[in-house]
Amino acid sequence: MMTVSQRLFHLLLFAYPREFRHEYGPQMAQLFRDCYREQTNQSPIGLGVLWLHTVSDLFVSAPREHLERLRRENAGMSNPQRVVLTLGTCLAIIVVAFLLLSYGRSHQVTSILFFGKALDALVTAGVVGNLIIFLLRLTRLDPVKTALWTMLLVNSILFVLAWALGSRVDPQINLPGMLIAYVVSFLFWFALHWLWAKSKGDAELAFEQRK
Amino acid sequence: MTKQVEPESLLPLRPSVFHILLALSDGDLHGYGIMQEVAEHTAGQIKLGPGTLYGTIKRLLSGKLIVEVDERPDPEMDDERRRYYRLTDFGQKVLKAEVQRISRMVSVAQRKRLIAKPRT
Repeated sequence: MMTVSQRLFHLLLFAYPREFRHEYGPQMAQLFRDCYREQTNQSPIGLGVLWLHTVSDLFVSAPREHLERLRRENAGMSNPQRVVLTLGTCLAIIVVAFLLLSYGRSHQVTSILFFGKALDALVTAGVVGNLIIFLLRLTRLDPVKTALWTMLLVNSILFVLAWALGSRVDPQINLPGMLIAYVVSFLFWFALHWLWAKSKGDAELAFEQRK
Repeated sequence: MTKQVEPESLLPLRPSVFHILLALSDGDLHGYGIMQEVAEHTAGQIKLGPGTLYGTIKRLLSGKLIVEVDERPDPEMDDERRRYYRLTDFGQKVLKAEVQRISRMVSVAQRKRLIAKPRT
């Protein structure tokens, strides 16, 4: 019959990646049972020592297995140069758009202010959307689909928020202008991610994932 | 054609890898056997947990340093669900290379009088 400790250990096995758990879970449970028998026979504090040892091992080994799985499955993210380049490009675009907008507002440059709303949407959606995309890229999700749905959702939510909050401050708010701004922002960021995904590294990654 | 991996290219070994290979140098062992052997030859200083032990075993299997074996040292005494592991020839070479590396370090430490030379 399984003891409470053994049942608890079975639950802790869920901290490991699925493939690892399937391959070695029964062996690890067997090992825990052996250790449990040994420790509880040895001393009254044996069970405490066993749990301390097991939990400290779990904190080290489970993240290691997850990291290894991520590295294996998402070879594109293991290339540090590519990650830095991608992050740098997005950051540079956001900074340039932000500086351009600030300059246009402080100096009342009509030609820049004409695109003011689009630049505003580009910066806001760029920061939020790209952050989500980079976090999602750690998973096995398709990079193009991830960019498409993230940018679509982020731009839609930001548009609704801007419209809802903006209409309270200014009842004469230019709704079509704002809508165009977020459509432009969506198209710009999605096109950028699509082009990036079509470049060599992601093409190789997509091929690896289809295999 | 697969590229031949030089044993020296895998050095230095992680302590958990070294101790598991050392434990298997005497013969086939299952997970608990490896754990006990490691605890014994390190005087209890290294006690491998389930995650570290099987994570290392997984990497050693994929690196072909060890293999899983079906034979049982004593089938009557044993639980058939247990998996036994064996050191491969390549694993043996890697272990020997690591032992030689460590012994060179020990020689250096002896020359520098950090530890005493064993009496002959």
